[in-house]
Amino acid sequence: MVGDEIVLRVENIHKRYKDQEVLKGVTFEVRRGETKVIAGPSGAGKSTLLRCINLLTKPDKGRVWLEGVELTDPETNINKMRQKIGFVFQEFNLFHHLTALENVMIGLTKVKKLPKDVARKKAEEALLTVHITEDLWHKYPAQLSGGQKQRVAIARALAMDPVIILYDEPTSALDPQLVGEVLRVMEELARKGVTGLVVTHEIGFALEVADEILFMYGGRILERGPPREVVFSPKHEVTRKFFENITKLYGGK
Amino acid sequence: MAGMDPVWWEYIPYILQGAIWTFTLVGGGLALGFAIGVPVAMGQKYGPTWLKAVLDAYVWFFRGTPLVVLLFLFYWGVFPVLLGIKLDALTTSIIVLGLRSGAYQSQIFRGALNSVDEGQMLAARALGMTKWQAITNIILPQALRIAIPGWTNEYAIILKDSAICFTLGVIEILTRTRYVVISTGEALGPFLFAGILYIIFTYGGTKVFNIIYEKYHIPGLVGKGV
Repeated sequence: MVGDEIVLRVENIHKRYKDQEVLKGVTFEVRRGETKVIAGPSGAGKSTLLRCINLLTKPDKGRVWLEGVELTDPETNINKMRQKIGFVFQEFNLFHHLTALENVMIGLTKVKKLPKDVARKKAEEALLTVHITEDLWHKYPAQLSGGQKQRVAIARALAMDPVIILYDEPTSALDPQLVGEVLRVMEELARKGVTGLVVTHEIGFALEVADEILFMYGGRILERGPPREVVFSPKHEVTRKFFENITKLYGGK
Repeated sequence: MAGMDPVWWEYIPYILQGAIWTFTLVGGGLALGFAIGVPVAMGQKYGPTWLKAVLDAYVWFFRGTPLVVLLFLFYWGVFPVLLGIKLDALTTSIIVLGLRSGAYQSQIFRGALNSVDEGQMLAARALGMTKWQAITNIILPQALRIAIPGWTNEYAIILKDSAICFTLGVIEILTRTRYVVISTGEALGPFLFAGILYIIFTYGGTKVFNIIYEKYHIPGLVGKGV
């Protein structure tokens, strides 16, 4: 499934908030069809890194390319490029005033300017892909469970036909019994070849689905490699400790 | 000939006709205030620093000055002297009520805008919306709904404030009531009647806005602290 074509390239990203340097030069790339997991303790800069990719946060230094177009180039129309980057938030961030279906449609009608009927069909397909059935399409976010909300949010990203979907701790705000349904959808998408970059503590997901784990520590990628290698025989002591703790907490395999 | 004086209640239709003028003032003032309040709130939240300072000054001026002073200032000062135009009492009153209501409404809408959580803007931008698209498609539709209760309150306020326009001679409810008092020599009945009329309009209007609120209300969409 994973081709050779690099779709996302992140080069030497730096970000500083006042006196704290959150990212100290991060470089990696993602190939088409690949699922990459970013793990690491809180404060390692994982979420900031994701936001630096679609420039929701502006990096101080470094460059980002999507399919060969440099996003960090001031000449680039970032709104145009963001359409190609799905973003799934920890807190879902569904639009409160829109139904599930409208949440998925609005990007298609307002940003991609698709006709309403085309957008509706596409949105319905995306919702079915994440197993949101018709009875939920006209519910407002407040009427959905956390797991349903996050799946609608994934559908909202998916419907835009993104080059890549960035997931920012997509299951961290969920009740434990709802985590499974979201992970299952993410796994299905990964198996269908939807390219994904996932910040998560779900080691089970990483071991099952990821092609590579990037372990971040102190604003850098401390080590990277195939999931089993990084989780079970890491090179660094901090990596070993981290995965040991997380396995205890999350009951990973 | 005192016995030939008309009794005050014969003038009730005359007083009631004043309601047309009162609602012209209220409707005009609210509409103008809305047209001013929304952009001012957006400017205060999203605009550059210099614009915020200008808008703050506007809000403070109209919130900090008694309405009767504003009416006199604009009717005899700003329009004829400063701008060299002669506006009738009704037009001046609507403009002044609107400018003042705009200052208050901007604060209602600003609070509503602030109560829409930051994640909404982030999600909209992440989809590829421009800031303007995000504001018009996502933030404003939520903020306007959140603002309805505060806005209902503004209706009640401007309705009662409209009575002060009698000072410019707008023939609204209070002006007509005073004519009745003067021509019949009775004060208690007419003023009580006028007072009750305002209560009915306040109550009725508030009910109407509550129905609108229920109609456009969305489950779970409540502003924090508004």
